[in-house]
Amino acid sequence: MEIACLGLNHKTAPVEVRERFAVGSTRLGEAARNLLETAGAAEGVVVSTCNRTEFYLAAEHAGEAVRRLEQGLADKVCGHDGLYYHHESAQAVRHLCKVVSGLDSMLLGETEIFGQVKQAYHAAHEAGTTGPILNRLFQKVFGVGKKVRTQTTIQEGSTSIGNVAVELAEKIFGHLKNSEVMVLGAGEMSRLTAKALVSRGAKSVIVANRTHERALELAAEMNGRAVRFDDWLPVLKDVDVVISSTGAPHTVIHAKDIESVRRARKFRPLFLIDIAVPRDIEHAVGEIEEVYLYDIDALEQLADEARARRSLQIAECEKIIEAELVKLLP
Amino acid sequence: MDRWFLIAATALAAVAGVRGLLILRHGDKSRWTVWWMIAALVCQMGYLVIRGEMRGACPLRSIGEISVYLAWSLTLFYLLVGPMYRISLLGVFTAPLVVLFQGFALLPGRLAANPERILNTNPWGETHSAMSVLAYGALALAAVAGVMFLVLDRQLKEHHLKSGLFRNLPPVRELLVSLERLLWIGMILLTFGLLAGLLMPHGDGAWAHLIAAVSVWAGYVAMMAVKRIRGITGRRFALGAVALFVLSLGVFAFI
Repeated sequence: MEIACLGLNHKTAPVEVRERFAVGSTRLGEAARNLLETAGAAEGVVVSTCNRTEFYLAAEHAGEAVRRLEQGLADKVCGHDGLYYHHESAQAVRHLCKVVSGLDSMLLGETEIFGQVKQAYHAAHEAGTTGPILNRLFQKVFGVGKKVRTQTTIQEGSTSIGNVAVELAEKIFGHLKNSEVMVLGAGEMSRLTAKALVSRGAKSVIVANRTHERALELAAEMNGRAVRFDDWLPVLKDVDVVISSTGAPHTVIHAKDIESVRRARKFRPLFLIDIAVPRDIEHAVGEIEEVYLYDIDALEQLADEARARRSLQIAECEKIIEAELVKLLP
Repeated sequence: MDRWFLIAATALAAVAGVRGLLILRHGDKSRWTVWWMIAALVCQMGYLVIRGEMRGACPLRSIGEISVYLAWSLTLFYLLVGPMYRISLLGVFTAPLVVLFQGFALLPGRLAANPERILNTNPWGETHSAMSVLAYGALALAAVAGVMFLVLDRQLKEHHLKSGLFRNLPPVRELLVSLERLLWIGMILLTFGLLAGLLMPHGDGAWAHLIAAVSVWAGYVAMMAVKRIRGITGRRFALGAVALFVLSLGVFAFI
């Protein structure tokens, strides 16, 4: 019995093609059954995420099974060439190891893919499309994925601005459950950053926007409350984190504003995130002792550094995978 | 025998500090620091028991003995506070201070090989010494937490966030909470120590010592009052804890 993988991902196929191949999480079992039928394989698993769809199969003649599968998928390709990658035997196993370890992901080292592959395997297992070959393969590969993540720092550091902001907020306040967040300017970037903070347990969100209706909308989305834009300063005495992205052509938060509420705040730490261009927060604000000020360049730089650190871990991860492949493959 | 226990305690604290720092440089957590420090505490207690037997009283009669007692108190408070607040890194910062105090005590002439036996002990005097040095242990640990805060504050302010040290330091708010609690514990113990000191019989030189001790106590009270009533920035609070502890060492060393 041979193992093979046929797939396409963000490197080989544009989104308009990927979306035609995408399979919802509730339909993964059904897709695995279709895979067996189309390819004439003995065992099969379909992995589908927003960036990839991959078909893993075990068949007497894997090459022929993959060919049949390609023919079966022809109507989805619509004239595009070179969309697929195709691996067999050791190469297919190595590829799966890289996928579960996050080495093949758009966001290097991301952890979500591990759960997504696990979900795909369980769906196939429940649909009865896995057997001794793929069961053993996936169980072993999950072990390899765990080893890569625990023995390297491939998943360390935040690689998006929202996550960098969350990481910094946690470094300042610890658990965010006692932290209040104020959003100045209800744009997309501030929405994403606030959402990231809320997902990590931030106590409440207060939104101020020049268009009050938009503030009400965002506040409702975050289970928070909206205040008039002219009233943000009195609110400042209660909040711990401020995300500012107003789109104003001049600075909105000045050192004198912060100075005016320092006593009322009892000089508690204040984390200011300025993701506006041009910047919303006067540079001098960062010189106030208890204020930690980060603008978009500083956050972007931290995300870049984390990405670079992850890239340096690739060789280490591949070394672990190769060592495990020796044990895995007869 | 007491000296060997002290040497062993110093070596164990040194291992805790050096090993912790090396692990930290790789960006990992120093999980074993707490165990090395527990072993150091056991050896410190071995020293204190033997020394106490020799003295027939609390071994706090010379600058060397006071240094060791202070190191023991510091270790004890670290072991009480560190694991409770999951501040594993506190041990890496505490260990060098323990080595410093005990290393000082091990210098020639600091610890008499056959210390004089105390025949007439006064309970107020014993309570004063024991409570005060215990208090300074808590205040020393507060100073350590203060240094950790100052390091983290600087890194956050200057956006230097790549080091293993930064990744392993506890959050700003947790450090400030621990710092405040340690200062409260230290102040309460110091208050009892001072009250006992006022009740004990005084020799000629004792008043200067007591006045200096009351001044240090008043400094801590003033800082805590400002923190409670008006508020104070984390940086000033941490700097105050460090400065007052350094000042309090002067009470032992010079007065």
